[in-house]
Amino acid sequence: MTGRRVTIIAVVAAAAIGLGWVMFTALGRQLATPTPDAEPPPPRPAAGSTVEPHIAATLFFVAEDGVRLQGAPADVPLRDTPAAQARALVEAQLATDAPAPLVRAVPAGAAVRSVFLTGRDDAYVDLDGAFVSGLGGGSHNELLATYAIVSVITTNLTPVRRVQILIDGREVETLTGHVDLREPLRKNEALIRTP
Amino acid sequence: MRRTAALLCLALTLAVAAAVAFAQAPAPAPITVVSAQGRRNLAVATVNGGDYLALDDLAAALGLALRDDRVTGTTTVSASGRSAVLTPERNVVSAQGRLVSLAAPPLRQDGRLVVTPEFVTRVVSLVLDRRVDFRRGGRLLVVGDLRVPRVVVRGEFAANAAQVTLEISPATETSVAQSPGQIVVTMAADALDAAVPSVPAQGLLQGIRPGDAPGTLVITTGPRFATHRATVQPVDAGTTRVVIDLMAAGADGLSATPPTPPPATPAAPTTPTAPDPAPPLLDPVTAGFRTIVLDPGHGGDANGTEGPGGTLEKHITLQVSRRVKALIESRLGLRVILTRDDDRTLDQDARAALANNNRANLFVSIHANAAVRASVKGAEVYYLSVDRASLESRRAVQQPNAPMLPQLGGGARALELILWETAQIRHLEQSATFATMVEASLRSKVEMSPSPVQQAPFRVLVGANMPAVLVEIGYLSHPEEEKALASAAHQDKVAQALFDAISAFRTQVEKTTP
Repeated sequence: MTGRRVTIIAVVAAAAIGLGWVMFTALGRQLATPTPDAEPPPPRPAAGSTVEPHIAATLFFVAEDGVRLQGAPADVPLRDTPAAQARALVEAQLATDAPAPLVRAVPAGAAVRSVFLTGRDDAYVDLDGAFVSGLGGGSHNELLATYAIVSVITTNLTPVRRVQILIDGREVETLTGHVDLREPLRKNEALIRTP
Repeated sequence: MRRTAALLCLALTLAVAAAVAFAQAPAPAPITVVSAQGRRNLAVATVNGGDYLALDDLAAALGLALRDDRVTGTTTVSASGRSAVLTPERNVVSAQGRLVSLAAPPLRQDGRLVVTPEFVTRVVSLVLDRRVDFRRGGRLLVVGDLRVPRVVVRGEFAANAAQVTLEISPATETSVAQSPGQIVVTMAADALDAAVPSVPAQGLLQGIRPGDAPGTLVITTGPRFATHRATVQPVDAGTTRVVIDLMAAGADGLSATPPTPPPATPAAPTTPTAPDPAPPLLDPVTAGFRTIVLDPGHGGDANGTEGPGGTLEKHITLQVSRRVKALIESRLGLRVILTRDDDRTLDQDARAALANNNRANLFVSIHANAAVRASVKGAEVYYLSVDRASLESRRAVQQPNAPMLPQLGGGARALELILWETAQIRHLEQSATFATMVEASLRSKVEMSPSPVQQAPFRVLVGANMPAVLVEIGYLSHPEEEKALASAAHQDKVAQALFDAISAFRTQVEKTTP
């Protein structure tokens, strides 16, 4: 009796340890820094539907003052590689409508072509031409759109420290004649408003 | 008796004064008629303070026929079946069936009919059926569509070196050739509208004068001249600059020609003379705050942003830049270069390169802004953020073992090799100071944005090798501000604010520069 009970406890403990190892070690390799302020998981879907795991991320929109960016929480699908996760973050940044009273910082209709990460903590985000044509000019618009993309990656994938934007697969000097995009950019904290 | 004597004295005094005044009045310089047939100088008489040309001289130079009608008191000027009829003392002339009103009428002077240059450009041009331009500065009457660029000549002179700079507009193909005793600058032109300064003769350079061949300028070299260097480059929209450095033998490592002793009397002693004192360097940068480059943002294919009322950024930036240029040139006497003076596409590097090539003391890029929130308005000033400027690039700027370069006048200086990407870094402190001055000046005249001074990685500022800022003069996306930015009154306010800031910055720089 005692030996059987001990065996059962040992099996359950081993299973728990194994599950924990899978969750924290294997997943941790993919995302170097887990999001610290993860919200409770969304409600369980109805039986029979597939469950897509999400990360609690921060997307960036134009603040009420109109001159800075402001972060807003959003669920972004969890991906199995950092590059795929970076792509999912940018896709969410491009596709998500701003929660009131914020407004979009990036043009609607723009799409991600690809995202690469390098061993030097740099990310390369290749966007299509709609990202440029939808901007409408002005250094202010260009700054906010550029740093929305930079911030969404550097904030949510902290190992990435710099981001370079490419357009249609090519390096560009600027989007509309202002911000130097020939090299990766760091996050610009001065441009982000804390709510 | 005493009254008569007093009157005689007064008359004598007046006569002497008039004679002295007459003797001192310089004879007016002739006006040169330039046409496809050649050049011809015409004597000028001054009447009522204005220049007048004898009509018969003009007719001979241009192949015009003159016919006086004694009955009506008129004179007919004709050529190839076309004619004009003028009456002395009357401002209105009939030319080819049109009445032309002149500012000053034809006159009779010493029995000859004389006319103003305006008569030539407005009446004779109709008779000839050809365009006639009067270049007041160069005193040229240009007949027909000839290439007559304006050439401004400046010179700087030191003991062992001299520099002659020509600014030629419109841009003209130019070559420089050296021959014994002179350097000849040849421009692809039919004639030159040149303002040539008088140059004191000295060892390197004896004088500058228009050449005998059309489109040439001759620099007469002196006995100490050894060789020259010339650079020809486009520097502005429609302007070519030619810089010619004249070097003495022995200067800058040159020794091809033995130095010729200075002119001396045959009895002069042959003992060696003391060398000239160390000459000042010919470096405009060290010679003071002299050149400002204004960069009207966008242009050509790049409209920049567009206001809800259709106002284009590229037009506003050019208009404001021109206003600032006019203020600076007229009130500070500094040289102002616009990166573009018309609606043309210009890449980012060309803008800063123009400032670097002209050794500008200040670079100001002028833009108008746009925001997704239409309520955002106000002006902003930016200077470069050094977010991605690595320590390595800073070290590259401060090369401790830079190669040495022999320089004009003897000696050597460190060769200044500056990476384009790091050119602005060493000027950041001054750029920040200037940005603050621009903000304060703008704030006194126009509304500022909630973030009036910012740093940003703006492409156009990266390569500027001098203090540099980008000014957003307002938001075209704000409907009211768009109207203001398009108005002359608001543009004047912005231009005045920029002028005030530039003037204050210049004063500060000159105070702190030894």
